[in-house]
Amino acid sequence: MTECRHRWEMANIQFGFVVFERCSHCNELRTYFSLEDTWDEYREDGCQWSIVENAQTFRFDLKCRDCNRQETFEDLMGLLYCTSCQADCEVEILRKTSETEKIFVLVAFGFLPQAKTKPIPQRKLDILTDYFNQRRDTSRSKIKIVSFNMIGDYLSRCRGEFIHDVGMLSQEPEERKRLL
Amino acid sequence: MTTKDVIEKVGLKSLSKFEHREVQGVFVSDMLSDVMAGAKSGNLWVTVQTHKSIVPAANLVDVSAVIITSGKKVPQETIDLANQHNIAILSTDLPSFELVGKLYGLGLVSS
Repeated sequence: MTECRHRWEMANIQFGFVVFERCSHCNELRTYFSLEDTWDEYREDGCQWSIVENAQTFRFDLKCRDCNRQETFEDLMGLLYCTSCQADCEVEILRKTSETEKIFVLVAFGFLPQAKTKPIPQRKLDILTDYFNQRRDTSRSKIKIVSFNMIGDYLSRCRGEFIHDVGMLSQEPEERKRLL
Repeated sequence: MTTKDVIEKVGLKSLSKFEHREVQGVFVSDMLSDVMAGAKSGNLWVTVQTHKSIVPAANLVDVSAVIITSGKKVPQETIDLANQHNIAILSTDLPSFELVGKLYGLGLVSS
């Protein structure tokens, strides 16, 4: 019996919001997915949480249309594109070398802070890469999705931007806040 | 039908540098998440969004061009990023509804 080569499609699509909130005391950043648009400020233990950004986004699973295998991506917070802010950052180095091969690099983030200790497994990032490449004409260009761990020590200085819907009601493009 | 044909027939303005390619249907949305979830390779993406994030979203799902409607001014940083990634950014003074009518008249339909 031959192994399924998997042709992925999105399943269980759920539109909602990704919330970025920061504690004004310890400066910790945390993120979560919410079905509702929330702007609450609250205290929790010693922390005072305020929302930094609330962006419209969606979550999904991937399902193989041939063998019905399903991979959940409830741990995917979003995809960030590199803005070349740090020349020595491994993502920027990979982005530059990949550009010559017409490979577009995106960085997958899990929800913070959990993802710092439990990042999205490489196996799942490879599936996500396969999915987006299956959706495109790869003779023209390809996608590669890497883990945010690759940003390493540059994370707190990263000026990459998430592909999220921010400021949708604004008439003019808004300057995006630095989130990380 | 190619992006070149659509530009000529509808009278669109090219704002970025790109290689012309085959067009496969139309996707209309002002939400990046909607595009990431639903647009298909080769689609023309019709939107009023001009933030530079439209470029990685367009690149991710391999649309053939992004058409900015209603004469919205596109920031230079969006055009620069599009040039870097060979993404076609086109513009028109027509509102989305009228543009979609013209595209439909050319035989292009929803993806």
